[in-house]
Amino acid sequence: MVTAIRTPEPRRDDRPAPEAMVEPLTPERLLKLQTWLSPGFPIGAFSYSHGLEWAIETGTVTDPEALGGWIGELLRRGSARNDAILFAETWRAAAGRNADALREVGELAESLATSRERHLETMAQGTAFLKAVTAAWSTPTIETFAGAHSNRAAYPVAVALATASHAIPLAHSLPAYLHAFVANLVSVAVRLVPLGQTNGLRVVSALTPLVLETARAAEKLTLDDLGSATVRSELFSIQHETQYSRIFRT
Amino acid sequence: MRTALEIVDNVPEGVGMQRTSGESRIRFHVRDGAARLDRLYQQGAAKIRLPRPEPGRPPEAVLINTAGGLTGGDTMAFEVEVADGAHAVVTTQACEKIYKSSSGPAQVASRLSVGAHARLDWLPQETILFNRARLSRRLEADLADGATLLALEAVVFGRIAMGEVVASGSFHERWRIRRNGRLVFADDTRIDGSVADIASHPAVLAGGRAVATVVYVAENAEDYLERAREAVGESGGVTAFDGKLVARIISMDTLSLRRALVPLLAVLADGAPLPKVWHI
Repeated sequence: MVTAIRTPEPRRDDRPAPEAMVEPLTPERLLKLQTWLSPGFPIGAFSYSHGLEWAIETGTVTDPEALGGWIGELLRRGSARNDAILFAETWRAAAGRNADALREVGELAESLATSRERHLETMAQGTAFLKAVTAAWSTPTIETFAGAHSNRAAYPVAVALATASHAIPLAHSLPAYLHAFVANLVSVAVRLVPLGQTNGLRVVSALTPLVLETARAAEKLTLDDLGSATVRSELFSIQHETQYSRIFRT
Repeated sequence: MRTALEIVDNVPEGVGMQRTSGESRIRFHVRDGAARLDRLYQQGAAKIRLPRPEPGRPPEAVLINTAGGLTGGDTMAFEVEVADGAHAVVTTQACEKIYKSSSGPAQVASRLSVGAHARLDWLPQETILFNRARLSRRLEADLADGATLLALEAVVFGRIAMGEVVASGSFHERWRIRRNGRLVFADDTRIDGSVADIASHPAVLAGGRAVATVVYVAENAEDYLERAREAVGESGGVTAFDGKLVARIISMDTLSLRRALVPLLAVLADGAPLPKVWHI
């Protein structure tokens, strides 16, 4: 908790904050990352399926192979790739104390959630995440952001802000974020298809190289590179709104 | 009938072609109690036709690309402004065709501006992509207080009935809509590379060829949700929140796309007749 008690010196806005200097992943930082991306962190991740519940309901995802294909496409050219770009942009903006860039990426991340449930999923989790880190792991960067953004944030933006502010390298925090997204969707399918725990773990394991590749690529991308091909996944998140009997909020 | 540019699809690479470029700007305002044309500027291949409006109906502008299609390096720019309190409808004369590109993408940029308590219906016909086509299109809209925007962008990745397959190519579409400077809708679609293979994926288009996105930004947008859902049926979906309604439709071809799209647009146009080109 070294960073939380440091008194910030007055500094120019474009200079990296001391707590955001790129440093190695120390055990202390690893533990923060683990805590924040744990399924037990109080943001209700378990209640969001990202439209996967409708894909299962309609028979589009029925087995481990289809599940891996579905999530893999979100990583390769869908919402998860977009989130990775938003994460990397936020991380750099927070590390550079660039309030204008943070405002731009924050606004864009919210507006890119174009269905009611995608919007709920990213804003409810992001806002809960911001509240939790403000309460227990606060830094000047997090405080300033929360004040300027009405204590609201899209989920990738909130996690990137916290990791940058606690000097957890992008090269570790971004793949961890994507891995948590994958693990959450797999757990949806384990419960709904149902798939069985072992099959679920195999899907998580098989997608790991793609998680790493997506994160590595996104580190070099900017907001100009945003773009998703997974129109049907967007459509499914809309159609989930009218699913008759459902367990998940999205 | 094949147009000259469709035949050009078979011309070997490296054969020089003249670039197409066009820019048109149009402004509508209220005069003598009715919406009317205020200013019109057109240059290059971008022309605008203004059919005489039906009595009591808003003015309609029809965008025309006199080059008959676009290919790599071509640029088209449209600017539409609807001043405070006015209402206008904009559509296109034909489906824009995007042909094989051997250089960069064709670029189409549209900038819309809707004044206080004004309304713009932006209803271009579908854009058709041919094999190895590359298109980058942007739609930027700025809305003032109480402004209403109904906007549509649709694309067809090869017409099945014509045996066309877009084996490779690229399609980028960017939407940015702001109200009073604040971003209220953003969307980026990007399909790059082996288009037909990518489109066959269940999370992409599951083999669908025609895609439409309809966005209705209005203070009462949510009131249209139930009727809009009924109109699009099962090939699409409609969502509404925070003063906007968004519909997405995926179909196998233009005809089935229009079977969902035309009833949806009719709902969002409050029963007003659609431009003639939209009659099926």
